[in-house]
Amino acid sequence: MKTTHLSAWEHEECVLGQSTPEMRSHLMECASCRAAVARLEHGVTLFRSAAMEWSSECLASRPRQAPIVVSGRLPAVAVRWAIAGAVLLLFALLPFHLWSPRPVQPASGISDDALLQQVDEQLSVAVPASMESLTHLVSTESGSGAAVATSAPGGKHFVQTN
Amino acid sequence: MEALEQLIHAGQVSPVRDRMAAELEDVNTLCDTYRSRIYRYALLSLRDPDLAESVTQDCFLKAYKARNEFRGECTVATWLTRIATNLIRDATRSRKFQFWKAASSTAVDAGAIADRLRSPGLSPETFLMVKEELQQLWDTVATLPGQQRSVFLLRFVEEMEVLDIATAMGLHVGTVKSHLHRALTAVRKAMERTK
Repeated sequence: MKTTHLSAWEHEECVLGQSTPEMRSHLMECASCRAAVARLEHGVTLFRSAAMEWSSECLASRPRQAPIVVSGRLPAVAVRWAIAGAVLLLFALLPFHLWSPRPVQPASGISDDALLQQVDEQLSVAVPASMESLTHLVSTESGSGAAVATSAPGGKHFVQTN
Repeated sequence: MEALEQLIHAGQVSPVRDRMAAELEDVNTLCDTYRSRIYRYALLSLRDPDLAESVTQDCFLKAYKARNEFRGECTVATWLTRIATNLIRDATRSRKFQFWKAASSTAVDAGAIADRLRSPGLSPETFLMVKEELQQLWDTVATLPGQQRSVFLLRFVEEMEVLDIATAMGLHVGTVKSHLHRALTAVRKAMERTK
């Protein structure tokens, strides 16, 4: 039996399960070394229990993992060639798309109804727009002798000034 | 049949290896069998449940894709642990992980874990002592260098043999033992602080 106490390294060897028969017989006799080894073992066991508990808890709180689906994949080389072909085709068709003639769009954004209403208004006016300002200049009733009133075929009076 | 037995004796066909290779063919069974183990290892190494889940899934996909490279020189568990170790190392080296590790203020509360471990027969004084011990241990293991921590976790949580740890981590047996002694020294010092 070993007469002196076991060293710290020997305590660790005991915890690692690497103890020699000499160490084991010393532990049988020496309460102090036995307590030191037991304390170290207690620490390791305590850590293990906590680790297991935490891990189980984290695992239980996670959603059940969906089954991994491993599909029969195409070889990587074939996939790369397919992608390269698609890109080439895209570049070949791009000029046709960019320079093809486009249908002529109407210049303004006015709706058809609004446009028709505008035309109707223009047509319903008896006096042309260019002469409309003249009608406001002189009234037919307040005119002097110098003014000669004539009647237009549409019933509208025109005033001629000298 | 005789021919097969002759091949087995000649070492050309290994039934154990074939069984392990067959185990790798069904990725979902593989997940069911080893998920909790790989997740636990990743979780304790990274201390981030989301990242641990990501590493676990990557581990199984990588194992499935590389199943033809499995030579049967170790168990499936050891092989998966090796893949997980590499993924954990890559994850800890990423800049994103470094950033969140530095920015994170939500450290795992060992006290809360201790609360759930409390047995009814424990006196309040003893429980407080255990709680403090656990907090010290938890923090000590977290601050161990990467390889030392992995070796410690594989030996004392996953209860792997030193030889299997060496295979899983790609280290010499002597290096593994050295890491274990250093980790245990740190644990002992942590225990002494709570005396």
